[in-house]
Amino acid sequence: MPPSTARQEAEAIAHSVPAERYDRVVRLAQAIFGAPIAALNLIGTDSQWTVASIGFPQGETPVEDSVCRVTVQHDEIFEVPDLREDDRFAKIPAVTGPPRARFYAGVPVRGQSGQNVGALCILDLVPRALGRQQREMLADLGALLEHELSVQEEMDLAGQVQQLMLPTSAPDIEGVEIAGRVQPAREAGGDYFDWFLVDDPEGGGKLLQVVLGDVMGKGLAAALIASEVRAVLRGHSRYTDVGDAVARASTTTRHDLEANGRFSTLWVGRLDPAGGALEYVDAGHGLAIIASERGYRRLAQDYLPLGTPIEDTWTRASDVLAEDELLVVVSDGVFDVLDDSFEQVEAKLHSILEPGLSCRQIVDRIVTFAVSHEATDDVTAVVVKRVADARPGATSEDTPTATG
Amino acid sequence: MDFEETDEGTHVVLAPEGKFNLVAAPPIKARIDDLVAAGKDHLVVDLHAVDFIDSSGLGALIGGLKAARQQGGDLRIAAAGDQVRAVLKLTNLDRILAPYATVEEAADGW
Repeated sequence: MPPSTARQEAEAIAHSVPAERYDRVVRLAQAIFGAPIAALNLIGTDSQWTVASIGFPQGETPVEDSVCRVTVQHDEIFEVPDLREDDRFAKIPAVTGPPRARFYAGVPVRGQSGQNVGALCILDLVPRALGRQQREMLADLGALLEHELSVQEEMDLAGQVQQLMLPTSAPDIEGVEIAGRVQPAREAGGDYFDWFLVDDPEGGGKLLQVVLGDVMGKGLAAALIASEVRAVLRGHSRYTDVGDAVARASTTTRHDLEANGRFSTLWVGRLDPAGGALEYVDAGHGLAIIASERGYRRLAQDYLPLGTPIEDTWTRASDVLAEDELLVVVSDGVFDVLDDSFEQVEAKLHSILEPGLSCRQIVDRIVTFAVSHEATDDVTAVVVKRVADARPGATSEDTPTATG
Repeated sequence: MDFEETDEGTHVVLAPEGKFNLVAAPPIKARIDDLVAAGKDHLVVDLHAVDFIDSSGLGALIGGLKAARQQGGDLRIAAAGDQVRAVLKLTNLDRILAPYATVEEAADGW
């Protein structure tokens, strides 16, 4: 039997894989071999997961009814000319019942760990044998799938890393409720949000810093830069006011942004939950508002994003978040589905901001709305409100989530 | 994305069409870099046929602007539609990429 770590890896892939990713290779296998059935089967702990297939249903079957479970114990192609004549397989449902498979050939596929996690197989309804060239071709297709799998695993891991960098608990400060969510267009992306406590540089106690950043582009490359901007801004924020922190973050990240030809928009706010005083900097983000039943106002400035050819000044502005108001910051993935129009934002706000909703519910509404309107970009929302009671933001239902 | 290219002698006009996004941006940026490297550093990007631009499209324009200016040239944009103008305004990038009404106005003085 293969080591159980391989089976765990297979399970993990089976649960994260977008099946269409492997359809092409499976279709190729089916066409090349002129076989009625071709499939990619992953061998999990108790189940075989058919994640891509032609002529055979996708999904879960008991592992003991699998032929591929034997293939994964080898490092070369496993071929059975007639399954009825092999005691291990003569009684399995796919042989005794539909599709009444007779011939099997499978090539083991390794996961990132280097262990076999599954097999690409073809089945025929009549006994046959592969020629030398056909065996080579099957091995090539297996290698192709292996590459696809490892790229996918790598991307999934990167997405997890990015997700784990998001704040996961309510800030340790009284008088505020906050929630945020990122829905990347791919496994990882250039959008992120952040919140943490900073000491008021003017000596006024703890303040809540809220950040929404958007690095141009999508996917892993944008995520790498986003991760840097996040860390650099966190570092500078500990020692100075928001305007200065953004200006210093720009200086620190300038080389890396320019070398990669990317820019990053940022909206950074600092809230004193006790009195509602809010200081903020808008570096070309433009999508922060304070909203209530009375209407909304934008918290926008004229500053450029980080990474353009011009070094801007990024000086903070001030506002006050009243107790019945919400601070809402979103990414342009949300704005795009509103046709990049603030008139549409205003119309949509009425249906999203119903009284009595928690920040979590509002964030979910915004993200769900954007995703259901076929947002093509990463989608992010952060919502903050002041609350009179002691730390209701710390309840578990208000913990932020990131969905990948 | 296809784009038209016209060499007007004093400047080169590039005219992308459709969606100026993650897919379309790299080839245009690469072409701008080639032009600038060949000394054609006065460029107009005619956006009249672009109906959607995303951050990658903006990035190609900003990157092109930077490359052109480093060689003593410039990159200007012309005939941007509503969505392009909205995104430029939102990001304040209209401060460094001011949209000109027409290609002729953009190239005025070159």
